[in-house]
Amino acid sequence: MHGLRRVPENLSGRGDKVMEDKYDVVVVGAGPAGSTAAYSAAKNGARVLMVDRRRELGVPVQCGEAIAEDILNELGIKPDRRWAVNRTNAVKIVSPSGIEIRISEKKVTGKVGYVLNRKVFDKFLAVRAVKAGAEAMIGSYVNGLVFKNGRIGGIRGVGLDGKFEVAADVVIAADGVGSRVARWAGLNTALRFDDIETCAQFQMVGVDFESLSMLEFYLGSRISPGGYAWVFPKGDDLANVGLGVLGSRAERRPIEYLRDFVSRMPGLSKGKIVEVNVGGVPVCGPIEETVGDSLMVVGDAARQVNPLTGGGIDSAMRAGTIAGEVAAKAVEEGDTSKERLKEYERRWKEAMGKRLTRYLKAKEILLGLSDGELDKLAEVLRGVKFDRISLTDMLKVLVKANPKLLWKLRGLL
Amino acid sequence: MEVDSSLCLRCGACVSICPVDAIEATDSYVRPNERCTDCGACRKICPVGAIK
Ligand SMILES: Cc1cc2nc3c(=O)[nH]c(=O)nc-3n(C[C@H](O)[C@H](O)[C@H](O)COP(=O)(O)OP(=O)(O)OC[C@H]3O[C@@H](n4cnc5c(N)ncnc54)[C@H](O)[C@@H]3O)c2cc1C
Ligand code: SF4
Ligand code: SF4
Repeated sequence: MHGLRRVPENLSGRGDKVMEDKYDVVVVGAGPAGSTAAYSAAKNGARVLMVDRRRELGVPVQCGEAIAEDILNELGIKPDRRWAVNRTNAVKIVSPSGIEIRISEKKVTGKVGYVLNRKVFDKFLAVRAVKAGAEAMIGSYVNGLVFKNGRIGGIRGVGLDGKFEVAADVVIAADGVGSRVARWAGLNTALRFDDIETCAQFQMVGVDFESLSMLEFYLGSRISPGGYAWVFPKGDDLANVGLGVLGSRAERRPIEYLRDFVSRMPGLSKGKIVEVNVGGVPVCGPIEETVGDSLMVVGDAARQVNPLTGGGIDSAMRAGTIAGEVAAKAVEEGDTSKERLKEYERRWKEAMGKRLTRYLKAKEILLGLSDGELDKLAEVLRGVKFDRISLTDMLKVLVKANPKLLWKLRGLL
Repeated sequence: MEVDSSLCLRCGACVSICPVDAIEATDSYVRPNERCTDCGACRKICPVGAIK
């Protein structure tokens, strides 16, 4: 089943420089998914190697850097000012014609979120894994799987010291949106144009926004067809200003839409761009099959991203943590078959499968609405006083005001 | 298909859309390999227009 593209079992005869070694678990990618997987596998007693092509983790940034506190609480990670640079507790959603909806969490008991510094955060998570006992190979590009008797037996690649090959009982694919590892294993994770938001972001200084504690979202087909624009404050006059455009609806490059957006916003157009980030966000919902013999797929590689918001840091960390634990246990039991690794699939689906499906449905409904219809919904929500940021709460208000909406929104409530 | 490395920000969007897994993306370069069928999907998705 896995014999799609076999490579010779031993490459060392070719005179290449080959670093031979064997690990229980090899994690490809040291983003939020990979570093949490490596951490939890190591914590559970496995010999772990984490490999990333990047020479500086977290760079280049491909992220708006907003995260809800839940995942940090879940994993017992204490927010640190070095990477949690701003605390948020409110959102503003602006409709195509400019109707503004503001929602704040209750002051004391409400949930908060953070705007991160991913360069520091990704490094922090990697260091956390290494301190738990994982080894890291940075600046090393993985370019293939090693198959042994038709089954995944390791990885190969090119690193700072030349070519290498590492054997592993379990390979965890945490290689992000451009994942290839799962594809080498025979899972087709290629995206189509309506599966991906193509994004651009400026980090800008000298800008005005409503409040440091408020994440701003702007909707409209003129601003970003099939997506939205965001302003996420990072400091006094510093913010991530970006947008995502659905691949199938993009008529221009996201960077061109972004330039237009910024120039139309007086508070932003006076700012200066100090960083440019781009990237793709998979918004198709998670892939069904996330395990194979000796293989697990986690994070963006498994498309475990909230399809409505495009947020994927939390899911990546949640899935990574489960995958690492299951990998370590499976290795210890001497059974790394697909059947055994399915525990990971069962558990991540339990933890977030329903929620991701619901957001996927919500995204599909939103994509079916015209700018005019969005304005009408915004009109209904405008005057309402919400005391938490919740999709369900907003939907309830909408259906109450406009019962005809119910058939469109059914299944979401 | 060719990637203008002075524009490319190595984001991986092109890799995710390539139907035949033909793009190598390291920390230093992004380029198609011999499997490329010149379908143009990567060119269309690139956020900065780095693919010619
Ligand atoms: C513009 C933009 C804005 C976003 N905003 C937000 C936001 O505000 N909040 C949020 O929660 N999410 C956001 N996301 C999504 C979020 O960035 C991802 O969901 C998250 O980074 C996924 O983590 P990951 O570990 O799965 O993948 P990644 O963080 O992409 O990590 C994958 C790692 O694998 C490495 N790698 C890949 N291939 C190989 C290989 N062949 N060999 C070796 N190493 C390899 C890469 O170098 C990388 O370090 C945004 C995304 C984009 C593009
Ligand atoms: S999509 Fe464009 S910017 Fe991103 S890696 Fe490909 S060529 Fe580079
Ligand atoms: S042109 Fe098509 S086949 Fe060639 S690299 Fe781009 S997406 Fe892949």
